[in-house]
Amino acid sequence: MSEQLRDLETIEHWMQAVITNPAGIAGGLASETARQYVDISTDEIEKVVTRSGSLSAAARLAIYGHAYFARLQECLRVEFPILLHALGDELFILFALEYLKNYPSRSYTLNRLGENFPRYLAESRPDAGAPLGERESWPDFIVDLATLERAFAEVFDGPGSEGLSLADRDALLNIPIAELLCARLAPASCLRLLTFRYPVSQYFDAARKKENPDLPQPANTYVAMSRRDYVVRINELTQTQYELLSALTTGSTLGQFATGQPDQQPFVATARDWLGDWADKGFFQKLSEPEAVEPESTRMLSF
Amino acid sequence: MNTARLGHPNLGCGVGLRSVHFNYLLDSHPQVDWLEIISENFMDSRGRARHVLDQLAERYPIVMHGVSLSIGSIEPLDFEYLRKLKQLANEIGALWISDHLCWTGVNGLNTHDLLPVPLNDESLDHIVERIRVVQDFLERPLVLENPSTYVAFAASTFSEWDFISRMAIEADCGLLLDVNNVYVSSVNHDFDPVQYIESLPHERIVQFHLAGHTNYGTHLIDTHDGQVIEAVWELYRLAHQLTGGAATLLEWDAKIPDFPILHAEALKARDYVGAPTGSSSNREPEVIEPEAFAISTPIHFMMSGGQ
Repeated sequence: MSEQLRDLETIEHWMQAVITNPAGIAGGLASETARQYVDISTDEIEKVVTRSGSLSAAARLAIYGHAYFARLQECLRVEFPILLHALGDELFILFALEYLKNYPSRSYTLNRLGENFPRYLAESRPDAGAPLGERESWPDFIVDLATLERAFAEVFDGPGSEGLSLADRDALLNIPIAELLCARLAPASCLRLLTFRYPVSQYFDAARKKENPDLPQPANTYVAMSRRDYVVRINELTQTQYELLSALTTGSTLGQFATGQPDQQPFVATARDWLGDWADKGFFQKLSEPEAVEPESTRMLSF
Repeated sequence: MNTARLGHPNLGCGVGLRSVHFNYLLDSHPQVDWLEIISENFMDSRGRARHVLDQLAERYPIVMHGVSLSIGSIEPLDFEYLRKLKQLANEIGALWISDHLCWTGVNGLNTHDLLPVPLNDESLDHIVERIRVVQDFLERPLVLENPSTYVAFAASTFSEWDFISRMAIEADCGLLLDVNNVYVSSVNHDFDPVQYIESLPHERIVQFHLAGHTNYGTHLIDTHDGQVIEAVWELYRLAHQLTGGAATLLEWDAKIPDFPILHAEALKARDYVGAPTGSSSNREPEVIEPEAFAISTPIHFMMSGGQ
């Protein structure tokens, strides 16, 4: 095909295949995708791209090829600074490069570039094929840390409760206990509940403070992430608190959750204090209208 | 068309809004003529970035500048993207919407680069038609910028200035003349930047961009990482004379200085209105060794900031 006949569609497909190939321009030219559109060798690039007075056609194309990976790797470094700290520059770049090969950007915004990075890290762990009990644990730390950082970015720029009416502590604690047990609590849109196999929120905090934390020991941890006044807060929870908040944010009531607790009455008293604290932190948007008290719940709780 | 700048005002000397300057702008309310935002950083934001923008839009004229329209791509236009673009423009009262003469990807992929198109009749027809569709959808003229480019195509039959001139006239759109990009591309493609600027339809130039670049000896890269060099300022003087003036914006996206330094650099544009009065010390930047690759269109141009 002569260069005059190479249409816009052919040129764009070919150029993208060449400059996004991690093996560089030579690798891109030789790739099946590029050759599907323009089947030329490095020596023949000038049939498509001209040389300048100072640079060969290949060198000019290489400017775009270099910039493609460098720019997107830099974006991931900006979005995952604590993961970068944990992995170190060399290892982070290796993971980032492989991620970009497997999950290239398909969005108009770079703010979504890292949304699949935690998933990619989980999929690509070296022992991914091994039975669960035989896996190394350090990849869990990496995946958990990436998950935390991505959630942080999403909560930071996503919908929040600023300007909305939130349930406040006093209003919530003034609800008669029988009504509170049946109340449906609407979570703030920015509330995220997360579980981890490592205490990554502590590591995250320490690294942000430049404390150079060591790799922590594994420990199941539970986190509520939220935002008030455009500042993201990470709150550590106990397992029971996490389970209660998860239940409440998926439509269950305190009364329903309490039925599963061994000591219901003291649990409800404690949970009521938790609800007050969580209301202070802006976890709940508003209180829905109280429903009719369910006699069964009341009876079981012996109020 | 007889109306200069498509009827848009000459806003004076503005700067690109970057997240590192949010607090300064909110706290100090500096006297800045206008601000340009990167559209994609705010289209989906429901966080602090958008909150800050809403406050600044009450105080400063805002212009939207996009990087993902991909007007030159053979991919179908993304109408969900255009809907969000239009919505944001309406919500913040943006004076105009600009993007680049480029394509950003095919097959659903976004390279997040401003890639060049072959400059020929096929591309021209394709792009003109897409500009018309976009303008109909946005219900306002589109303003398109000449990008810095590093390759040229054997299939090109137009000079860039001829292509852009015909595009603007046939599509009835505005132009954002990036004077630094003209200079960078003139070195990279061995053309005369004065001829480029003299040949454009000056009445369609709505806005100017100025920026610094990096000199690799064999080529220049548009890095937005420093002061504007004297040769670019002189091209700006020429462009100002030919157009009668237009809103002028300084882009600085890597090694971003404190706001007062950035603003002072933007205000230098006032010294390049009218006849030359003396020489400046801003010569071509030192040649950078090839292994110290810089990235064109640096990420702070394209990413909103974190907490």
